[in-house]
Amino acid sequence: MNYTIAFPPGLSRFQPLPTILCYDDFDRGTNGWLDLKPNYRFEGFEPRKGPLDLTRWGPTMLSSATFAFPGTHGSMDGTYSLKLATRPVANPYEDIPAPGSLGHAIKRMAMHQPPGLLRFEMWYTYTPEQDRIGLGEKDIRAFGFLFDLQDGQYRYMPGVRYLNSVDGELVQRWQYCNADGVTDAEWEYGMEGWCKRGIDPQWFGRRYADGHTDGFKDVPDGAQHLCYNESDDKINWMYLRLTVDLEKRAYVEMQSGNRVFDLRGLGPTLVPGYANIEGLLNPMLWVETDTDRRVFLYVDSIVISMGPGEKA
Amino acid sequence: MRSFQTTVLERKTGIHGAFATEPFEAGWAAEAIYFVEAHELAGGPLHARAQISPDGIRWIDEGSACDLAGPGQAFVRVAHFGGWLRLALDAPDDSAGTALVTVHLALKS
Repeated sequence: MNYTIAFPPGLSRFQPLPTILCYDDFDRGTNGWLDLKPNYRFEGFEPRKGPLDLTRWGPTMLSSATFAFPGTHGSMDGTYSLKLATRPVANPYEDIPAPGSLGHAIKRMAMHQPPGLLRFEMWYTYTPEQDRIGLGEKDIRAFGFLFDLQDGQYRYMPGVRYLNSVDGELVQRWQYCNADGVTDAEWEYGMEGWCKRGIDPQWFGRRYADGHTDGFKDVPDGAQHLCYNESDDKINWMYLRLTVDLEKRAYVEMQSGNRVFDLRGLGPTLVPGYANIEGLLNPMLWVETDTDRRVFLYVDSIVISMGPGEKA
Repeated sequence: MRSFQTTVLERKTGIHGAFATEPFEAGWAAEAIYFVEAHELAGGPLHARAQISPDGIRWIDEGSACDLAGPGQAFVRVAHFGGWLRLALDAPDDSAGTALVTVHLALKS
């Protein structure tokens, strides 16, 4: 069949691979992105008990980015963006994350073509709640993106996070998900059971004073200052792209702003597949606060695309 | 076709005294309902009132409210609310008082 596709102009600021799985502009609704909640499948519809309370993460919503002094900022392309929010609560960096100290958004899909390259792109920005004077940049601990993937053999979560601040000190560097060398019991804060190392690195894995965790290692040459602006109510839309190779189960490349980081040679941690989720393809975003203050990640639009693998 | 979204703001949260749900941006919606379920309630009634805000930080009572005298469900219906919404809850706050609460927010354009 011969056909012609007219792409919407908004796609020209993305670099998609040949098959566009989704182009989610949040002026058109939530497009399937929602809060991340545990599995309510036990007696009384209770989730599995663990060392972390997974039921109180902050809510995700459609935002007009409205602030007290400038009014409505709107989004990069229209009025609405997807806003991830934390509650105003945080533990010290090296402690287990406080209930509500993160906010998430997840979309749930499944594989539909042979393994090749998989790419995530978004235009986004971040800010704390403007509930106090001054500049709140240091109150944002981190934000990140990962793919939750499972093929016929392995479950794995390749992803990156921007570690912005550790206990009030700006760090501002990129890290990638990898939990090699960690046991499953160490991973879930001493509780060995259902959860395996490398899975859900945004909240599992011990955290260390230098900023790395059991699940995050520094991207080589990954220090980067992002455009934060001069006031918590002035937001600048920025670009992030991450490409992974599903055939090699490895990282390929990331781009943040105008910098490209070669991630070839690095991999996520592979663990045996979980029951019932073969073919899983779940993109997931999160934001984490560093102190007793809500912080927000705004996402104007997202493109997820697939294509053939790189030639050897 | 209208847009619709339900968000679960609290699930079986134990509250004492004054409590408020997380600030929620709802500028795209024309109508909202907060569903309030008290799984447990002892030591006094539970009062819930809708609040609106210009900026998500400073809050004003909108006027819509509901009460629960014991375990059960109630709702608060709001329209013409601007861009921000939250639900203020007044629960028993003496040492014997308990309220275990789930709050859903249903929005429709």
